[in-house]
This record gives sequence, structure tokens and C-alpha cells, in this order.
Amino acid sequence: MSRKHPRYLLGSLLVGALIISACGSDDTADDSADDSPGTSADGPDEASGMITVYTGRHYGIEPVFDEFTTDTGIEVRFTTGNDPELRERLIAEGANTPADVVMTADAANVELSAEAGVLASVDSDVLTETIPEELRSEDDEWFALSQRARVIIASTERVENPPTTYAAVGDPEWDGKLCLRPSTHPYTQSLVASLIIAEGEAGATEIVQSWVDNDPLYINSDTDIYKAVADGECDIAIANTYYLGRLLAEDPDFPVGIVWPEQDGRGAHVNVSTAAVTANAPNPDGALALIEWLATDGQKQFADANYEYPADPSVEPTEIVAGFGEFTADLAAVRQLGANQPAAVAVLSATGYE
Amino acid sequence: MSSTITDAADLVPPDPGMTTGTVDDGGARQSAVSAIGQRARSWPATTAITATAIAVSVPVLVIVWSIVQPSTEVWEELWATRLPGMIRDTATLLITVLVGTVVLGTSLAWLVTAYQFPGRRILGWLLVTPLAIPGYVLGFVWLDTLQEPLGARSVRSIWLCALVLTITLYPYVYLFARAAFREQSQRAIDVARSLGCSRSQAFWRVALPMARPSLAGGAALVGMEVLTDVGTVRLFNVSTIADGVLRVWFGTGNRNAAAELAVLLIGIAVVLIAMERLARGRARFTQSGSRTGLNVERLRGGRAAAASAVGWGMFTLAVALPLYRLITWAIEARRTDQTATVAGDLGFHVMSSLRVAAVATLSCLALGLLLVAGLNRRRRSGALLARMATLGYTVPGPVVAIGVLVTLAALDRTGWLPDGWLLVGSFVGLIYALVVRFLAVAYQGIESSVAKVSPSVIASARTLGAGRFRVASRIELPLAGAGIIAASVLVAIDTLKELPITLILRPFGTETLPIWVWQATSESLWVQAAVPSLAIVTIGMVLVAALLWALEHGAETVS
Repeated sequence: MSRKHPRYLLGSLLVGALIISACGSDDTADDSADDSPGTSADGPDEASGMITVYTGRHYGIEPVFDEFTTDTGIEVRFTTGNDPELRERLIAEGANTPADVVMTADAANVELSAEAGVLASVDSDVLTETIPEELRSEDDEWFALSQRARVIIASTERVENPPTTYAAVGDPEWDGKLCLRPSTHPYTQSLVASLIIAEGEAGATEIVQSWVDNDPLYINSDTDIYKAVADGECDIAIANTYYLGRLLAEDPDFPVGIVWPEQDGRGAHVNVSTAAVTANAPNPDGALALIEWLATDGQKQFADANYEYPADPSVEPTEIVAGFGEFTADLAAVRQLGANQPAAVAVLSATGYE
Repeated sequence: MSSTITDAADLVPPDPGMTTGTVDDGGARQSAVSAIGQRARSWPATTAITATAIAVSVPVLVIVWSIVQPSTEVWEELWATRLPGMIRDTATLLITVLVGTVVLGTSLAWLVTAYQFPGRRILGWLLVTPLAIPGYVLGFVWLDTLQEPLGARSVRSIWLCALVLTITLYPYVYLFARAAFREQSQRAIDVARSLGCSRSQAFWRVALPMARPSLAGGAALVGMEVLTDVGTVRLFNVSTIADGVLRVWFGTGNRNAAAELAVLLIGIAVVLIAMERLARGRARFTQSGSRTGLNVERLRGGRAAAASAVGWGMFTLAVALPLYRLITWAIEARRTDQTATVAGDLGFHVMSSLRVAAVATLSCLALGLLLVAGLNRRRRSGALLARMATLGYTVPGPVVAIGVLVTLAALDRTGWLPDGWLLVGSFVGLIYALVVRFLAVAYQGIESSVAKVSPSVIASARTLGAGRFRVASRIELPLAGAGIIAASVLVAIDTLKELPITLILRPFGTETLPIWVWQATSESLWVQAAVPSLAIVTIGMVLVAALLWALEHGAETVS
């Protein structure tokens, strides 16, 4: 019968396999690595041959991991998610966590993990030499791998004298002409945290209030904020630079320009993409190997994948990003962003920032 | 079964000796006759049910428990700042979407049930299909499409958000209303007409009141979906309480304050459920033996064209236009080779999604049947257990996910599993979380369809000497079969579209279609989200077809 109906046989095999795979995948530790798409299958099978990564930064991350595996033979298994949720998972798992490395797309979230005691302090000459002091935590629990600047952007067609400080964005001149990202997003929270660090809570409240008084159009996507400026929905906005990198890669004549803010003072607000070894990492050596590789051999590829600025100042950014020009960054604030985030959320609420 | 006896009782007051009527007093008598709900007196069943209710409610209770140490500081600040706005937005959205879905769902269901016009048959199916499109997908498609004509400012409004939610959620009401209208006998309408009602009066005074319990059931589901939505509202800058839970939790790391908001949400849900009970009233409407269905009025000329236009217009707005947009984007993504942000191909994601949805649905179905068969809701303990088992549907997905995470992690720490085995991040853990969230959908669907089996049928069988088990297995479950399949399909569609729980709890090697959509949309890469969105919609359509087949098939078996 099976000869006459090979399809049925195939079908029942498929169903069987489905059931088995459904039942058999409750072991998280080792076996499921084979069917993980985040694993390249051709690395050598060593005892320290695999690391597990929780990453809140997911745009274009897979090719970078693949490159690392090719270079070192260490396989990478990863899961993506939102930074705060991955932190909750790490905290809940405690000693049982399978994660060796946690990567975030902002400084506050990694600092909250450090406070919760789920990150390991790392002793690495490679990292202390390549990553500037301001871009790693005080006891080396986390390391920035790239910087993203949050700047003032303006239409190159309609705006002649764009504001050059964050406070000036609140000038009544921009009433009804301003686009901002909602307060739910970490980028907004971290920007306000940097204002608190520089100006104090009262000063920051005043600035944010002046933005809110300009009746901003809130758009929950930096790409759409750039497009809104291009389309004339608003004249100026606050956004991250690397989205412009992506847009310029598609259209070199995109009519929006960058203004580097606070260049006469502390410098433009920067946030960072970070990586950290977890306190309970099953494979801490492999974890450190990945972070060291990302800070050195993989540094350029990691930053370029998303048009960001490398954390290592000796590494050149990609050509489009270099075209944005030189700027002073507010590096001093980076370590304190996490501690000031709750205050930032309170300021945003108090001012009625949407 | 004898059609003469049951039909005669359609509008005639029920014989005091025997409850055969369409409208009876519901309470005690029905439970006295029904075999289901009576057999759970044995202790293994009671234990299993209690264990299920506890297991399913623990993750929510863990979160709720946080308010034992209230964080008054954050709470006061919230009152002074965002909370009034959150309550206003939540109320506005809830009321608008409830009114919208009930009006839209009921009138479309009446249109395709009571009138004959070109395209009626196919529209009866197509009008359910918006169910297959996740709100967050319809949301970003509309947002991007309407941005240019309306402007970026006015497109981000609570009214457009309400419209999007109404369009994706009205099928819940439509399905229930359509089933209710189809079950009604023409005789009821005829009697009303003979007593001097016009056709439209008959609709308002007979057909609609008789369908009321079904409409309330559908509306309750819509209400829960609106209350717990966290994907669609954020696209439109609408700041609801559910959104506030995440805002507080992830913005400040203050779990207690977030839990307090979540409890507020549960409170609103409880009020909503109470209102549904109230809307159902004490009346119970049961199926009579013969369902001749309503006489269908054939529309002609302009009226027929208008009816067609309404149906097709709705379908175009809710399904055809978004599909067209998604297909254009998918082609663009293919042309420009923009598929690089995810690991694994389409087939891999489809298999992941199907595996999760299938196992979660079967689990919900099995536990739902257990609860319906075993719980005696007339007892206070039964009602409590039912409430516990359905708690997860009243809180947003991310809250369920964190609750499950905390619960499973605590179990993992006890070390009772063999070395190297962990529940967090396991397939079992993910399915457990989905059951916590969606068991209510299965339970409600099964319970309402079992409740509709006429007590007279059961009484007849009992009179003829059938035991309780035999009655349940040979009469009640088969009669309710269509409803049970329908409930399963609703769960399957829900799990297929589910994002926040899967995102936090998925095991390595499981990457569902909504995860792919999230990867792209969280970076505003709408074009890259098109292919997985289309895959979700396609699988959803197949499920919707199965749902309708079940409903049609069920109608045939019963009559």
C-alpha cells in the first residue's frame, strides 16, 4: 500500500515528525541548538563551542554573529526581544539562565540589569584598551560597542536657521512645526535623562515643557519622523542619525539635514548599544570572546550594519556617516543615563509629553 | 426529535411541567436536566479541574499579588499626570469599538441572513475574514496609506484607532449574531407579523431580542480584546491603561505600580463581564428541534444593488485594500531584496507558527472541555473556579508573559526537573502561557454552545433511559460540536496572531510569523513586514473557512 501511495507515507511521516518535534523541544539547554536559525552549523564542536545571547538590538545582527563564528569557531545562539522584557527574563531566570551575553540597544536598560545584579564584572585588557572609559560601566559590568547620536534634524528646503541646542527646540518659533518621538520610547527617556544630568530636574522640566508647548506631532518611529520633515509635516525634529544613514542609502538627495546640538557645551546626546557578560553565564569565556571580538575585529562591521558610530574612536565610521561631519558627543552622561531614567519618565509625565 | 412539540413552544409560554421553551427561566431547571456539569462530583475530576484553575490563574495572581506592597508614590504621581487621560482614552476606545462592532456585526449578519441579493453566499464567508488580519498589521497598513491624504497629525487619532479595531473585531459579533439569526425559526417572526408587526418591527422586537445573549457574548470578547490591546493603540498614540501598564513597568522598572494598573484593568473587565450577564438577563434561549431558518426576502433592483454594495464595500475596506497594499509591499521587498533582518526563511516561520498554534489550541480545547464538563457554575465554588480559569484573558499579553516567567522561574529554581531541563524558554512553558491567556476563549465558546442544547432534548433522552455519560457523549457534545470547533478556531486564530507572549517566552529555534512582523515594524520597515503579514492572513483565512464549514456543518447535523 505504501508503494501505491508514497505521498500518504510521506505525509504521515511529516505529521509524525511534527508531533515529535513539538514534544521534543522542551529541553532548552543543548539539543535545540540544531534547529535554531541563529546557529551556523559549520563550526567545530568544542566544549566551549557555543554561546547564548539575549539581544535587544536585532537590526542586521545575524551576519555579524555569522562572521564571529567563522572567525573563532564559536557558535552563537540568540534570541531577540525588547530590552526591558529581556531584562525581566534574565532577572527571573537567575542562576538558571542559559544566557552568556546580553546586548541592549540603550544604556539605561543595561544599567538596570547591572543594578539587579545579573551582570558580571569583567577583567579584560582588550576591552579597557579599546573602549573609552566613559563608554563602559564603572566596574566594567557593561561595554558600549557603538554610539548613536540623537540630534536636531531640519528640512534643508524650508529651514535656514535651525536650533543648535535642545532648549532652543522649545522656542515659540517652532510652534506647530516640531516632530518628536512619544515618551514610551527609551530614546526619548534617555534624551531627557541627559537633560536632567546637565540641567538638573527643574531645568530639564522647563525645557521639556517648552517642547510640549510647541504642540509637537508625536510619531513613534524615527524613520517616519524623517519622512514627516521631508514631507513638510514639520520643519524640525529630534531623531537619531543612523536612520538618516539608511534613508540616504536609498535616496542621496533626501532633503533633511543634521544639526549637531550643544557643540559649544557638553556635546550632542549619545546613547549606546551595549554588551555584557551575565553573572550566571554557563560559558563566560565564550561570552568574553564575543564581546572582545565585537570591540575589535568585528567593531567596524557591528557599527556599520546600522550606520552607527564605533565605540572605539580609532575605528572610522562608514562613509555615509562620516559625511555627517565631526561632532562633540556628551560622553560624560552615558554612565548616568540609567540612574536618571525614572526621573526622566516622571518629568515626561509631569509636562504632559504624550 | 419532534419538531412539533419544540416549535410550538417557540413563543408559547413554556409548559410549567416541562421546560421545552425557547425562553425559560434558565437557572435551576437547566442545570437539573443537563448531564454536563453534573458528573464532576467524583474526586478525580474535581481535583483535575481545581488544579487546572489554579495552574492557569497563578501567573496572573503572582502579578496581582505585588499590590500587597502598594507603591503609593507612583500611584499618586500617575493620578496627578497620566491616569485620567488613560482612563478617558480607554473608555472612549472601549465604548466606540463596542458600539461600532455591535452595530456593524449585527446589521451585516442580518443582511446576509434575512435577504437574498447577488453575492450573498460568498459575502457571508468573506465578511468573517477580517478576523484573519491582526490589528497591528491593519493598523500600520492604514497608517501608512492614510498618512498622505490625511496628514501625519490627523492620522494619529483615537478615532482612526477605534475604526481599525472595529473593523478587525466586528467579526466576533457578526459570527455570533449570524449563528443566532440562523438558529431562529421563521415561526417566531411569523407570529410577530400575524400580531401586526412590520418586517422591521419583527426584527427589532423579536429577532434582535432573541439574539441578545449571542450579541452580548460577542461584544464581551470584543471588549476584552480592546482592553488588553497593546499593539494597535501605540501605532496611533492612544494611551490606554494597558499601554500604561507597560509604560510604567518598562519605563521605571516599578513592577508594583504596573501591577496596580493591571488590577484596574481586571476590575474593568469584571464590570464588563457582569454587564454581559446582565445583557443576557435571566433568559436562556435554547435551540429548538427544527430550525427551518428565516424566510429569506429576495431584494430586487436598486435595493439588491445597495445590499451588495454594502457587503462588498465592507470587504474591500477591511480586507481587499490592506491585502492589495501588503502584496505590493511584498513584491517591492522581493524586488529590492529587503529580507535580511530575520533569521530563517518563510517556511521555517510558518512551521513555527503552525506548531505553536496547533499545540496551544489543542491544549485550550482539552482543558476547556474538562472545565465545561466538570464545573457546576450554579455553585459558588464552580463560578469561582471558572472566573480563575479565565482570568488571563482580562490582562494584556505582556503581563501574562511576565507572570508566567516569574512562576516558571520559581519552579525551575526548586530543581524538581531533571538536570539541564528548564521550563522558562521551553516549548511547554510557551504553550502554558498561551493557555493562561486564551483558555477563556475556548471555555466561553464551549460553554455557550453546550448551554444552548435544549433541556427538553436531554430530558427526553433521560426519560428513555440514557445515563448521564451517554447523554453527554451522544447528545450534548455532538449538538454542541459546531460551537466547539468554532471556539477552537477562534483560539487558533488568536494564538496565530499572538505577539507579546511569544516574544518573551519562545524557545530557541521557534520564530513565529508575528515575531518576523515585529522585527520589521519595530524598525518601521513596513515593506519587510509584508511577507510574514500576508502569511498570517493566508493561514487565518483558511482557519476562517474551517470555522464557517464547522458552523454550516453543525447546522446540518442538528436539523
